[in-house]
Amino acid sequence: MPKLSKLSSEEVINSAKKELEGHGYIASDEIATALYLAQALIKPILIEGPPGVGKTELAIATSKLLGKPLIRLQCYEGLDESKALYEWKYGKQLLYTQVLKEKLSDILEDAGDLSQAVDKLHAFDDVFFSEDFVEPRPLLKALWEKNGAVLLIDEIDKSDQEFEAFLLEILQDYQISIPEIGTVRAKVPPVVFLTSNNTREIGDALKRRCLHLYIPFPEHKLEQKIIRTQMPDVPQSLSKQIVNFVQSLRGMDLKKLPSISETLDWTRALVLLNATELEPHLVRSTLNLLLKFQDDIEHTNPEVPTLIRNAIKDS
Amino acid sequence: MLSDFIKALRSSNVTVSTAESIDANKVLATVGIENKLLLKHALSMALAKGIDDKKIFNKCFDLFFDQNMRLDETKDHDRQLSVESEDEHTKAADVLNSLEGETLLSILESDDQIALQQLLAAAVQDVQLQNIRIFTQRGVYMRRILEKIGIDTVDERLYTPTDNDDAEKSDFETLKNLKASLIEDVANIVDKNLLLYTANGANNLRQEILQKTPLARIEVRDFKVMKQLVSKLAKKLTSIHSRRRRKAKRGYLDVRQTIRKNIQYDGIMFDTIWKRVQIDRPKVIAICDVSGSVSQVARFLLLFLYSVSEIIPKVRSFAFSNVLGEVTELFENNSAEVALAETIKKWGSGSTDYGGALSELERVVGHEIDHRTTVLILGDARSNYGDPGHLALRRIHNRAKKVIWLNPEPRSFWDTGDSEMQKLGACCDRVEPCRTLNHLERIISDIARTAA
Repeated sequence: MPKLSKLSSEEVINSAKKELEGHGYIASDEIATALYLAQALIKPILIEGPPGVGKTELAIATSKLLGKPLIRLQCYEGLDESKALYEWKYGKQLLYTQVLKEKLSDILEDAGDLSQAVDKLHAFDDVFFSEDFVEPRPLLKALWEKNGAVLLIDEIDKSDQEFEAFLLEILQDYQISIPEIGTVRAKVPPVVFLTSNNTREIGDALKRRCLHLYIPFPEHKLEQKIIRTQMPDVPQSLSKQIVNFVQSLRGMDLKKLPSISETLDWTRALVLLNATELEPHLVRSTLNLLLKFQDDIEHTNPEVPTLIRNAIKDS
Repeated sequence: MLSDFIKALRSSNVTVSTAESIDANKVLATVGIENKLLLKHALSMALAKGIDDKKIFNKCFDLFFDQNMRLDETKDHDRQLSVESEDEHTKAADVLNSLEGETLLSILESDDQIALQQLLAAAVQDVQLQNIRIFTQRGVYMRRILEKIGIDTVDERLYTPTDNDDAEKSDFETLKNLKASLIEDVANIVDKNLLLYTANGANNLRQEILQKTPLARIEVRDFKVMKQLVSKLAKKLTSIHSRRRRKAKRGYLDVRQTIRKNIQYDGIMFDTIWKRVQIDRPKVIAICDVSGSVSQVARFLLLFLYSVSEIIPKVRSFAFSNVLGEVTELFENNSAEVALAETIKKWGSGSTDYGGALSELERVVGHEIDHRTTVLILGDARSNYGDPGHLALRRIHNRAKKVIWLNPEPRSFWDTGDSEMQKLGACCDRVEPCRTLNHLERIISDIARTAA
């Protein structure tokens, strides 16, 4: 992404869109705007949307675009700071005490009395709890990265409420407090993405600190463009039919609607089967790639011929 | 301008914190206002933080900037006219002043649309239309705006008699038409603002009043709102109490077990053992008097109990007037409306017999009542001078964890006439008047706290 200079914000956003496209990610205007704002205001982006619309992909594409390493933190229930932030290298610390024990007599040789010896020992405490003995976990890694990084906190809704509160300091000031060392502050603030599938409501305090981006199912044109970018060798007519079919599926009453990743999987399968256009038996046998519940598949099966007819008619 | 927009958002129930409005200002400074779509996307990211909020945001944005963009077009024009000033209000006054030379009349006659829009915009700002609250103020604001832009000059011209010549007459006709369309314009502006700033005002007021209204007096037409309210309360309670339960699950360190277990590691506390707290599965037995006098309240209590079934997993419900019947299954298998109607139809016809109902209850579920069971009774304790059933209730009380009596009548009515509250109340742990939704919320919250 070009530096924010005299270019107008519109131009920056358009060029960002193009560059993302170069990295295989087709962004809508909203997504590009969000990226631009996140950089301009130095704020994290909270991305919500149904599963499989490319929330995580966006972070990956951004890291490629900016040429910064992607650091990913997958959230789950019970995630705590020792797994997210840092841990002490216990083994190394133990080793260090062993070494210290052996060297102890050498060091304390010239100490006159007990108080002098204690003074000398005091000098070693700081080494013991220093950055050399810290095992950085994703969050700390992202802060330590010298040229900045892209930090992806994936599926924040899966983590506990306590962890959410713990994130607040990082998201607001890009700093974190480690009791033994002090406050670690990022020299170059990382670009932070948080994703959520909305399995539970995210707290207001967290929402307040982020820009909020909702990625819905893609529109007709966008989805076709995505297929074409990901798989350039798919015939045009087939990709149109596929998109028509999937879009009309999304209009139905299903447990889980197919999203982009499912469309792509399905397209790949159809290409592998050398399909040139949608046919009922072909669709039926591959329907399980699009729909992930048996109920949904049974519900859709009788409709397949009609759906295909409409998809071909519209293309 | 932005602060007005945020005000509009807030009135439509989108919560916008101060920090967020600061962000919005920063966003505005970064993206500018040249591209409306871009501005919409950008602002929605800073202000609307949820799917529902986004929908409301889009509606508000279109409504708001539809009229304000038009004003902005004219603003470029007025920059040449008036000196820019910091305060928007004085700016508006400036525009009014600078245009004073041309009266509304001359503007209308020369058909100068830009000047007209400018004049309107200035007037809107001058009368502070964004403070409009309720629809009855429409007339007042319309009148004020019309006065501000100087409708009187037009009227003067229209109603002063002149020589009767034909050219003049057709002039009058056009002027009359122009005036009519102008008034329509103003009405449109006012309506739009009303919609923008008061979208939810009336609704909020209604909900607030409903919460305090005695349940027995709620009209049928308010049932729909009431249902929303009940489920909203239930959701609130569920989220509060489910959090507490998750916390309790973890338990505390079992020191004895830990030491024992860690002997194999030379006594280094390596493997910790947690004592899990036994999750108390509370049981609630709810008995509702559904005879005519209290059926309204029972309706909401039952609705509420089913809405909170997530925090109180086991609820058995009974309804009675002269005979007692279990309605648990009915509720599980049907939608709330159907179940409620059915319950009242089936059991609500007789005259109340507390003695019969309570002893029947004892016979049916007496053996199930134990130290974990909370018995919830809703009724006015009016037994038609029959047996109040306090002996049966006493036996139930002895077995149960708690017996709570909710009475939809105010305290001063208890023990008047055939009310047996004193006798029955003596066999309960708690006796509470339960007249409004607020009461109901408090009581259920209490039960959830002590039960869960």
